[in-house]
Amino acid sequence: MKYLVFLMIAATLGLAGCSGGEKATGGSGNDSLQIAVIPKGTTHEFWKSIHAGAEAAAKELGGVEIIWKGGLKEDDLESQIKVVEDFTTRKVDGLCLAPLDDTAMRVPVSDAQKAGIPVLIFDSGIKEVEPVSFVATDNFAGGKKAGERLAQLLGGKGKVVMLRYQEGSASTHEREEGFLEAIHAAPGIEIISDNQYGGATTESAIKASENILARFKNPDGTLQFDGIYCPNESTTSGMLRTLQDAGFAGKVKFIGFDSSPKLVDGLKSGEINALILQDPYRIGYESVKTIVAKIKGESVEARIDTGSTVVDKSNMDQPDIAKLVSPPKI
Amino acid sequence: MRKFANLLGLAVAWALVFGLFSFFVPNSFPTVGNLETLARQTTIVGFAAIGMTYIIISGAIDLSVGSMVALVTVMIAWLQLLPCPPAVAAIGGIVAGLLAGALNGFLTTRLKVGSFIITLGSLLMIRGIAKGIAHEQKIDAPLTWLSDLLATLGPHQKWMLLPIGVWMLIVLAIVASLILNRTVFGRNVIAVGGNEEAARLCGIGVAATRTWVFALGGLFTGLAGLMQFSRLTVGDPTVAQGLELDVIAAVVIGGGSLSGGQGSIAGSLLGAIIMSTIRAGTSQMGLPNWVQEIVTGAIIVVAVALDRWRMARAGHVAA
Repeated sequence: MKYLVFLMIAATLGLAGCSGGEKATGGSGNDSLQIAVIPKGTTHEFWKSIHAGAEAAAKELGGVEIIWKGGLKEDDLESQIKVVEDFTTRKVDGLCLAPLDDTAMRVPVSDAQKAGIPVLIFDSGIKEVEPVSFVATDNFAGGKKAGERLAQLLGGKGKVVMLRYQEGSASTHEREEGFLEAIHAAPGIEIISDNQYGGATTESAIKASENILARFKNPDGTLQFDGIYCPNESTTSGMLRTLQDAGFAGKVKFIGFDSSPKLVDGLKSGEINALILQDPYRIGYESVKTIVAKIKGESVEARIDTGSTVVDKSNMDQPDIAKLVSPPKI
Repeated sequence: MRKFANLLGLAVAWALVFGLFSFFVPNSFPTVGNLETLARQTTIVGFAAIGMTYIIISGAIDLSVGSMVALVTVMIAWLQLLPCPPAVAAIGGIVAGLLAGALNGFLTTRLKVGSFIITLGSLLMIRGIAKGIAHEQKIDAPLTWLSDLLATLGPHQKWMLLPIGVWMLIVLAIVASLILNRTVFGRNVIAVGGNEEAARLCGIGVAATRTWVFALGGLFTGLAGLMQFSRLTVGDPTVAQGLELDVIAAVVIGGGSLSGGQGSIAGSLLGAIIMSTIRAGTSQMGLPNWVQEIVTGAIIVVAVALDRWRMARAGHVAA
């Protein structure tokens, strides 16, 4: 037993020692504002870009300390609840949260608010709670831009296919609905398939894409449609891979959403005509700026759209667009 | 007497850990509010650890508790949408846990396959069933009194000191401890875990005892699932992945021996609160996740090493 006690103290002391050297970890005698930023996960590039944006805002504002802390387990609700509770107990000056679930996170968030901590929600929405502000991409507008660009590429007439992402995913659903609205506004364009789902992984998206291609292939080997739209990274990659396999890449107009090195290659080679890109760096930046403004008593917007941009071969090398294609990260 | 020394040692270890984090986060760590948060965050692991203590004392292991917790949250949400009243849904969820535990016990004793392998299999099967019932997504349930079981106390509830769920844990831990130490069944469990052959020769029904132990484990895991549901307010088939490791670690830190025959419920609960104190402390300090994971892993290694050391010493004394 003595050994256990000793080892625990040693481990904890060692731990505290190395953290102390890294950066100030709060506590007393610290006048700077402590803002906890809680992402959905800590290992994906998207979140690393948000982290970079949050740190940049803190540096610019001065006197703001970012505590970047995701749940101990990636994509685990209970872990995220614990992190919110921990920072509620610690009484940070402000909390920015990307909720993993719009329903399950409402109780810890309202507990934080009852404890007097302003809470800002970013990336994904939350139910029944009034946050300081909601900072996220306007996905409907992003989808609409995709639809408008595809209509323009097709010269206002032709047949198009949309491969949906997954049932129950709110952000991609909005991107799909936005696309459909833009397409319905173009009278010469007909949607011949919009009820297929790519599913969670690139692998499942490839299967769905193969089925679509098989269904709409003419006996002479040509395709019955002229344009395709996919609402996220995995469906876009899956469709790209399938088009390449079947030899149709570059022969149909193709618009995707989000970015990855493979999709950027596709954009360069002309196999993808355009990608709609979000701005994660700006999501992090605006979140911190907004919550600090609120703490300082300024009035803030209830909804901040961090925008989406249509990127194609012609503009992908412009400095501000290149930042979206490969966003800065920590 | 030795058992008491063990508990005292654990209490001192906890006090030291708590004191240390109070030093680093002085404004919020040594507060009543933080103690309440710690108690709430320990309750899920705590309930499952009561069941796991029985299972480990009996010389077995249950790797499927995380999956069971997920299944119970899904069952409670699903039953509420049928619609069943919250109380019925809660009981239904706990019964699902009990049945899953009984199935583990039945398979272990009938197939004569070690509990490690059986529960490794049921870990996947139960998780699969939970995902199937939930159609691979979360089930939203209405907010009822079930979500208040582990909720933060409001200003007018401060007289309760701790949420109802934590009181339930304390009362049931005392009951479970009495059953373990003061009843024939409890003594049979210790005997089966200490020396199965000797227990058999003494006329103890080894298979029946083992099956009951797993069912009891399932019952407590069912209660853990109810608490998990209370916190999530949704049925989530993906929640509590790897929870079994936290639970086993709590039992082992608390003096449970993986070779069976030894362990105490109070020790396991102290083990659970030590683990959650370290987790909350590192989190409130804002340490990055990788540091937190290394520390948690190190604690488990130290605990298991201590188990081996204790066994070796016990063997030496016996010889």
